[in-house]
Amino acid sequence: MKFHTVEVEGVEALGRYVLLRYPWSGAIEPGQFTMARAAGYPTTFDPFLARPFSFYDHDGETASLLFEVRGRGTQLLAGAKETIEVSRPLGKGFRVGEENGRSLLLGGGVGVAPFKFLSRRLDELGVEHDVVLGFVDEGVAGVAEDFPRAKVATMDGSLGVRGTVLDAVGDLSEYSAIYACGPNAMLAAVKKAANGIELCQLSVEERMGCGNGSCNGCVVPTKARGLVRSCIEGPVFDAEVLAW
Amino acid sequence: MVMERRKTDVGLSVELFGRRLETPLMPASGTLSKEAVEEVRGVYGAILPKTTTPLSRDGNPTPRIAETPAGMVNSIGLQNPGVDEFMKNLDDFDLGVPMFVSVAGNTVDEFRELCERVSADERVFAIEMNLSCPNVEHGGLTFCAGASSVEEVVSACRGVSGKPLSVKLTFEGVVENAIAAEASGADAITVMNTMPALTVDADARKVLVKGGFSGPAIKPVAMRAVYDVSGAVDVPVIASGGVSTGVDVAEFMMAGAAVVQIGTVSFVRDPEEILGEFEEYLRKHEMSASELIGCLRGAGSV
Repeated sequence: MKFHTVEVEGVEALGRYVLLRYPWSGAIEPGQFTMARAAGYPTTFDPFLARPFSFYDHDGETASLLFEVRGRGTQLLAGAKETIEVSRPLGKGFRVGEENGRSLLLGGGVGVAPFKFLSRRLDELGVEHDVVLGFVDEGVAGVAEDFPRAKVATMDGSLGVRGTVLDAVGDLSEYSAIYACGPNAMLAAVKKAANGIELCQLSVEERMGCGNGSCNGCVVPTKARGLVRSCIEGPVFDAEVLAW
Repeated sequence: MVMERRKTDVGLSVELFGRRLETPLMPASGTLSKEAVEEVRGVYGAILPKTTTPLSRDGNPTPRIAETPAGMVNSIGLQNPGVDEFMKNLDDFDLGVPMFVSVAGNTVDEFRELCERVSADERVFAIEMNLSCPNVEHGGLTFCAGASSVEEVVSACRGVSGKPLSVKLTFEGVVENAIAAEASGADAITVMNTMPALTVDADARKVLVKGGFSGPAIKPVAMRAVYDVSGAVDVPVIASGGVSTGVDVAEFMMAGAAVVQIGTVSFVRDPEEILGEFEEYLRKHEMSASELIGCLRGAGSV
């Protein structure tokens, strides 16, 4: 895998999540991801692997990543001062077009990440859409400030509606497209609730080794074709494809 | 398809089974997808897709990989579409360089049938026999469990294949198994496979991944295995295990490897950088790749 050294334009806290920006002028589709790490060889021996992150936003000049510090890899990225290393944009993103009817974007926890960018794209296409973000509690909901039009739900009711993203949505049948990203349990619930909606796409999160299809580590179960690599065939899947 | 020759003033080529390889690098089995193949055009002197088996295999459930310092543990379970589909799509890996095919069976018969089938295809340059899979006829011990097991399966494949056979061994008993493989007709020995390892999810108090350990951490072990095996057999040794730099490639060749496989490190580095470092090493020492082979033992040592 080729990695590119890029300058860190900024690292800031959004609630308990971290937002990292770097220059990237190449094309990126909403829902695509990059493999990122704080430094390359020889520092990269520990932590050894890069980490996959969905793009949080891209305005054509600057790309950004939103993540939660969970281990050493993300800790080092959060502390990056000058440069980080990133792969080219990888995977298949969300299917969107001007023909999209009214669309719903559902983000759970750090799974809100791809929806800043998707919302931007839908705005550009003139597609009417609602954004609903769900969090455990107010402490992690800080990122919601960056989504002024979004409806928010928290499990403990400390901010917005008490409950899940689905509890905060009215009638799903108003929408012709639903996009979701979050924990697998949330995605399975969205898939069930979206039964009958024209388009339902889910962005899955799996542990990845390489990001380019080589290691076969990040598989997800599908109905028709067994386990498939989420880095190549995803991370965004049509809900009906997944055997959940 | 013709390989684009790298423009270089140093002697990168080596000879294997009577054929010239433009570089001494090739991928280790299971570490190069068809989607990533274009990234290594011009870097590898031979190519090797992921191991194939008689029938399709779903592989193991996730988590399949766990990171460790300077390495990773994987338990993929030889996921592949089976040999029929595999051979249909073999051209996806055609970079105009000699093509190895890695095979694995659960029984001696499966190995024999796979070798016969694959050998009949003229696109195939050589076969790598992955002997680290469990032999179901011997209580699930791997084919590397002893010299007699190695002899049985290698002889069976030798009997049906006119292609060069490289026998891929695990670290356990590697010298005895290499001698047995050579005596049974192997044309080369691939040394070595991943090492048995376990990772734990401490918070959940559960096994995270039980599988094979690979990456830079295992390099000194692989180096020892390559050195010992190359001193014990006359056939070429193909090194695999923890290579992460061009200097590592040089070291493995000094220890006796004719060809060096790039595996796990290709997930975190561009193999072209590794080839560039290897060229740099050769230029600095005014040597060609083939002059390095085995020089730790011979007159070429310093």
